Order: sequence, then C-alpha cells, then structure tokens
Amino acid sequence: MQKLLIITQTILLGIFLSVGAQAQAVKNPGILVHAADDEATTLDPAQVEAGEGGETVILQVYDRLLEFGPSGPQLIPGLASTVPTIANGMISEDGMTYTFKIREGVVFHDGTDLTADDVKFSWDRIVEMDLPEGQAGVIADIVTDTKVIDDYTFQVTLSGPSASFLNSTVVSMAASIVSQDAVMANGGVVAGEPNEYMAQNVAGTGPYKLKAWNRGENILLDINENYWGENAKLAARIEIGAEPDVRVLGLRAGNYDTIETDPSFVADIEGADGVTLHTGGLLLEPIHVGFNLNIPEGSLPKEDTIPTDFFHDPRIRQAFNYAFDYDAFLYGPLAGFGQFNPHYLPIGIFGHDADAPVYGAQDKAKAEALFREAGYWDKGFSVSVITEESNLFADAALVLKDSMEGMNPNFRINVLAVAEAVFDEAHAQNPIEYAMWVKNADPFADPHPYMSAYQHPDGEWGEVHGFANGYRNPEKIAELIDGASIELDVDKRAAMYSELQRLLFDDPMWLITAQEGVTMAYRSWVKGFQMNPLWPRPSLRFAYLDK
Amino acid sequence: MQIRDYIIRRLLVLPVLIIGTSIIVFALTRIGGSPIGIYLSHEMNPAEVQEMKERFHLDKPVPVQYFYWIKGVTQGDLGWSGVASAPVVDVFPKKFAATMELAIAAGIVAVSLGIALGTFAGARRNKLADHIIRVVSVSGASMPLFWFAILLLIIFWVWLGWFPIGRSDPNLFEAIPHPTGFYTIDALLAGNFAAFRDAVWHLIMPAVALGYGATAIIARMMRSSLIEELQEDYVDAAKAKGLAERVVLKKHARRNALIPTVTVIGLTFGFLLQGTVVAEIIFRWPGLGRWMASAVLRGDQATIMTYVMFTSILFLIVNLVVDIIYANLDRRVVLGE
Repeated sequence: MQKLLIITQTILLGIFLSVGAQAQAVKNPGILVHAADDEATTLDPAQVEAGEGGETVILQVYDRLLEFGPSGPQLIPGLASTVPTIANGMISEDGMTYTFKIREGVVFHDGTDLTADDVKFSWDRIVEMDLPEGQAGVIADIVTDTKVIDDYTFQVTLSGPSASFLNSTVVSMAASIVSQDAVMANGGVVAGEPNEYMAQNVAGTGPYKLKAWNRGENILLDINENYWGENAKLAARIEIGAEPDVRVLGLRAGNYDTIETDPSFVADIEGADGVTLHTGGLLLEPIHVGFNLNIPEGSLPKEDTIPTDFFHDPRIRQAFNYAFDYDAFLYGPLAGFGQFNPHYLPIGIFGHDADAPVYGAQDKAKAEALFREAGYWDKGFSVSVITEESNLFADAALVLKDSMEGMNPNFRINVLAVAEAVFDEAHAQNPIEYAMWVKNADPFADPHPYMSAYQHPDGEWGEVHGFANGYRNPEKIAELIDGASIELDVDKRAAMYSELQRLLFDDPMWLITAQEGVTMAYRSWVKGFQMNPLWPRPSLRFAYLDK
Repeated sequence: MQIRDYIIRRLLVLPVLIIGTSIIVFALTRIGGSPIGIYLSHEMNPAEVQEMKERFHLDKPVPVQYFYWIKGVTQGDLGWSGVASAPVVDVFPKKFAATMELAIAAGIVAVSLGIALGTFAGARRNKLADHIIRVVSVSGASMPLFWFAILLLIIFWVWLGWFPIGRSDPNLFEAIPHPTGFYTIDALLAGNFAAFRDAVWHLIMPAVALGYGATAIIARMMRSSLIEELQEDYVDAAKAKGLAERVVLKKHARRNALIPTVTVIGLTFGFLLQGTVVAEIIFRWPGLGRWMASAVLRGDQATIMTYVMFTSILFLIVNLVVDIIYANLDRRVVLGE
C-alpha cells in the first residue's frame, strides 16, 4: 500500500512539475498564435464588411495611405509619406483637394512596384465594383475625382469640405491599396461582382503575406521580408473556430498568445499564471435597443399591442431610457467593463462631450412619470424585441424585459431571440416589421459616420426607422450633423457635437445599453503589446508584437 | 431477372430518384425560409439586400431558384457556403475526408481496444480484471461524449500539453500535397514521416474520446459472446484434445465470438459518425460535423443541401449494392419481382 502511495505521489509530482515547467517556457517561439472569434468571409478590401473578421487580416496584410498610430487617434504615414495638412499645403485652402506623396521603393507581395497608379486603381476599383456587402460608400460618398499627378503623387477631390475624410475614409480597410497587376491578372474589375481571387488571396504591401487559409481551421501569415517599414518580428497564425471556453483554456495553457474574448470570461482569466489581462478603454460599437418610428400598419407580431406611432412620442423613448437597469447589464453580462452614453457618439471619439447628460442609472420614478404622461402606465402594453440568440444582445434584451416587467406588471416585453441569419434578414427590411431590436453598430474613427448613419433624420438608418416622425426638431438635428461634418475648425466642430449630444439626450432615438469595455487577454511573454480600438477587432497589429 | 438486367434497370431509375430527392430536399430546405440571411450583415440596407438576392437568384420564384441550383450542380457548382466563406464544392471534400479520417481512427481505437478488453474480460469471468473492465466499459457507455472530451482536453492539452487540438501542425500540413484529403495517408504518400507523426498525434485525443463509447459497447458484446462460446462443447473437446488454453481461446472461441461482435461493430460506425459533431467542436477538428452544425444553426442552405443530397445519393447507391450482394449470397432472392 505504501509502495502504491509513493508511486502515486511521484506521478502527481511529475505532472505538477511538468505543468510548472511549461508555464515558464515560451510556447510556439517565432510565431504569434491568435485565437479568433470567427472566420473571415473575404480578404478583398473591396468586399469586406466593416467590423467583419476579414478586416482583422486585411489590417495585417495590406497598407493604406495613412494609418492610426498605436496609441490613439493620431494619424501616421502609411503608403503616403506625409500626413496631409493645410499647413503643409497638401490640403487645399478650400478643404476640397488632398494630395498624397506616395512612398517610393515599396514592393507588393507579388513583386511589382507601388506607384500612384495602384493607389488610384485601388480606390476606383471599390467604387466601380460597388458591392452591397462592401464599403464603397466610404469613398463614393465623398470623393468625386481621383487623379495621378505623377508616379508618386496621388490627388483626390472631394464633393465638399470634410472634417472626417482622413479619419474615416483614408484609414478605412476598404481604402487599402492593392496591386493593379495582380487584380488585372486574376479576374479584373467587374461592376457588381465580387472578385473570387481577391476574396481568397492577398495582393498587398503589408508587413505580412498570406501563406494559407485553411477554412474553419487557421489563417497563416508569413513575415514580408521586403516590407518597406520595420519588419514584423513574428509570423502569425490565426486559429479559427475554437469555442470561447477552449480559447480561454488554450491561453491559460500557453497554446495561444492572444485571444478574442468578452467581459464574461474575465473571471476565468484573471489571476491565471502567465496571463495578462488588458482592460481599459471602450469598444466603439455601442450596444443599442432600437425604436422603430416607421412601423407599417398590421406588420407587428400578433402579441404586440402598441400602436404604430408608439415611439413617435419622445416621452416613451425617454421612459424606456430611464427604465432600463443599466447596473444589471453592466455588472452582469459585462462583468463591470463598460460605460454609459445615451447616443451614437461613443466615448473615445472626437467630439464626445464628457459633461453632456447621460441616463446610465435606472430611474423608475422618472420612467413612471413619463409613461403616465404618455397615457400607458395604467393600460400597459406588449411589445416584441428581436435579437440574435446567445450573445450580449440577447442579454441586453432580457435585462430590458426584466426592467420593464419588474417596474409595471402591465408591461410585457417579448424577447424574440433568433439565429443571426434570421435577425439580419429581419433587420434589413424596409420598413422593419418589428418595433424594437437589439444590436450594435459598426465602429468608426470619426463622429460623422456615426451621426450620419444613426442619428440624422435623413441618414441611412434614420430614414428606414422614420426618425423624422419623432424628433422634436429634426431640422435642427440635421443642421448640426451636416454642419459639423464640414466644419474644419476643431473647436467649433466640437461645440456643435456638444450641442447635438444635449439635444439627443432629451430626444433619444436609441436606448444605448452600454459601451462595452475592452478586455483582451494575452500571454505575459508577448512583448510590445499595443491595442487601439480604432484598428479593426481585435484591435491588434501583429507586426508590433514579439515574444 | 438476370442480375445484369436488374442493375441496368436500377441504374436507369437512379437519375429519376436523384432528381426526385433533389426536389424534395430543395423544397424542404426552402420551407425553412429564404437562405439570404447567411449572406447579409446587420448593417445592410434594403437596397443592398436586394442586390444580394439578385446575385444568388433569390429574388426569383422558388421553382426558378431550383432550376438555377440544379443547373449549378450539374456544372459542379454547389453554391456558396456562408459559413466557410468559400464555394461548397471546394470545401466539402476536405471536410468529408477530415471527418472520415477521424471516424476511422476512432473505429480503430474502438475495435482494437474493444475486442482486446472483451476477450481479456471474457476469459477471466468474475475475476478482478473482469470487474475492472466492466467498470471501464460501463463508464464508457454512460459517460457523455462532450464531458469526456472536455476532460481529455483539460488534462492532456491544458495541463500536460501532451496532445494538441486541431488537425495538424499547419507548417507540416502545408508542406505536403493532399491528393486524398486524409492527412495520414497523404503524409505516407509524400514519404514525410514528421507529417505522419503529426497527423497521428493530432488524431489520438479526438479518436480516443470518440472511440471510448464504442469501445465499451464492443467490449461488452465481445465478453458476452466469448463467455457463451467458452461454454460450448467444442471448447471442451478442444481442451480434451490437449490444446493449450491460449490456443483454444484465440483460435477457436474468440473467432466464433467475433461473429455477433462484428455485427455490432458495423452498427457502431454510424454511432461514431454521429459523435464526430461533438468531438469536432470540442477538439476544433475541421470536419464535416462542425461545419454542418454551424450551417444548420446559421441557415447555410447551400451547405445543408449538399450534405443531405450527398447522404441521400450515398444511401441510394448503397441500397443498390446491398441488393446485389444479397442476391449473390442467397440465390432464393429474385431481383426485381
């Protein structure tokens, strides 16, 4: 018996020692292993959707004229050797013409030289293809002309002065520069049709070259030894499709160097040996509950009892904002990582006014008063909220349900949690056949795309959701958004956004449940960790990292 | 009817059956709704959605959609997988090979261990070894696969780091051609021993997890059959002839005990294929099961239809082959009557 105990103890000691030894040693030397949340759908800058997994790869393998630096919104030269300003004469006095000096000696992965022709080709190509899933509007909405001045000078003319052109267009993944020769040799440019070669291959100048894309398994990136800047220190492997728990286990075991996760996994990571948890900062994708002000008669689910003009009344929208239990969402699904903001100008973006009022705390008394004023407190109502199943959006919908039904038994919130594809199809209808929904927004680096798409009464979503039916003063909102977009004086522009935020607090078009906090976990042996939420998720540029 | 005539008749009927199956599969899939959602994102506006519908012919009536689909199939275009972000025809063979490789490896684990343990236990009825093997078998049959798989993953991948997850070391995998899609076979064909070792190393954990349940069933069956055989008169006769115990067991009793066990082995292969879905998800194995689970959850109809059509056609062909074999085995069977 004693012998058996000794053997068992020896085996266990061996196991613990081997685990301890592994915790010290750097695994997978020479390669950064990143466990991603999902698969890319395309690697073509002309086809990629904003915020989609393909942007993660495009950031690493392509360059743009300008880039966001590692520590914030400051622009640094990319394939353009200088950041244009009015002072250096590369932005015309009227703010309509931008000139970019293209870096010389840059070579594409296919061996061809970069010239201004490639830049013009890349920008024109996305506009000509104009794919519905792509981001052609990033360029087409603002650029009226692109011109090659000489081999290394590229000029752009805008439809009007723009305060956001450099921050939202030039740095966009859609504006990545592709090799003209590679594209023309592989399918060329066809209006309205994706280029299958470009969707699955890479023709860029970035610090990484695509080695292989094994669907559902991994994407392998090799170091581009001919990179014009400082070479990447590690090759990279993006592991695809591991379940969230498996990603956390893999990180703890040292098999993954960085993982994509969300705040609900912080408790599993915090304090783990050899793992660093990076927190701080906020994602630029506020999670919202939408109000439909454009409900077709007879289209709502049969359980819904609200009239079609229910959300036209700003008091109702305000009441929902007061009724939501923000703490339950923040300290539940978000594990305490997040902040509140009542409109679509996220914290961390230029123009956000920290002194502007926010909801951010449940106020049942105010909610009740507003519902009473609007005439719904006693008679109650039933309304459905559609959302994707099993994610933070569904959690937010359930918190809304608890908040409302807990406040008044006459209120009924029906949460319809459906598959992503079903949600996307429902949300893409015009008009939408649901009164409420939960999702998030695409991230942008400048306030204008947010304001234009999500708050403007005639904007992309304002029009679909019927915002003009509900704003107390839609003309004023539109005037401020349009004015701020062309105001080149930074202080004046900030003041306009500040005024806008006060108006949008009193007249909310969304219930922003929270702006999710950044939580990123990586092995402590990873050196040079830098994260910038303005880069596509997971907001890492692999070329900066070492171990 | 002559077998040759029967085969010709069945082969002539086969395309009709396949077309009929395709109509049923297409119609049933479309009853679930339009597949457009898989190609959309939250941020698409109605005009963009319309463009996507036109691209995939989903703006047309369902019968016309069927025509486009079947036309594509005849030209080798099985549609676009929204889950895999690639043409189905490019991805399907790779995923299929990966799943078959895993199922076969699990089958090898189950059969070899099951027969060995069953024989060992049967020959030592009611002794300590038999009791231990019974506990192992019962736990294997009753333990949920997902739980056992996670347990293996935590112990051998996270704690000990002995076995990896996934299917391969990407560098070794990329270094060899893949004519068959079976990593082990391709590595041998390429004469790359490091890749072969990598393939086997990656297979061990999912194959053991998946094969354990089947091992238990096979071991229990083998044990019972062997015990029955060992009570037969011919065993006593063999022993009386002076044959050694080992020889009696291996050459006589075990061989006969294998007959019912083989039937069970055939049935467990279906069980193994079902189990690949769970094993592939947990061990990040890039096979058909994981792909199909995502396709069903996300409404990737092109992928689902390919899979269902593939299994349906396989079923039709297997039925034909079984009929022919059956007729050959038993001459009393009259084909086509």
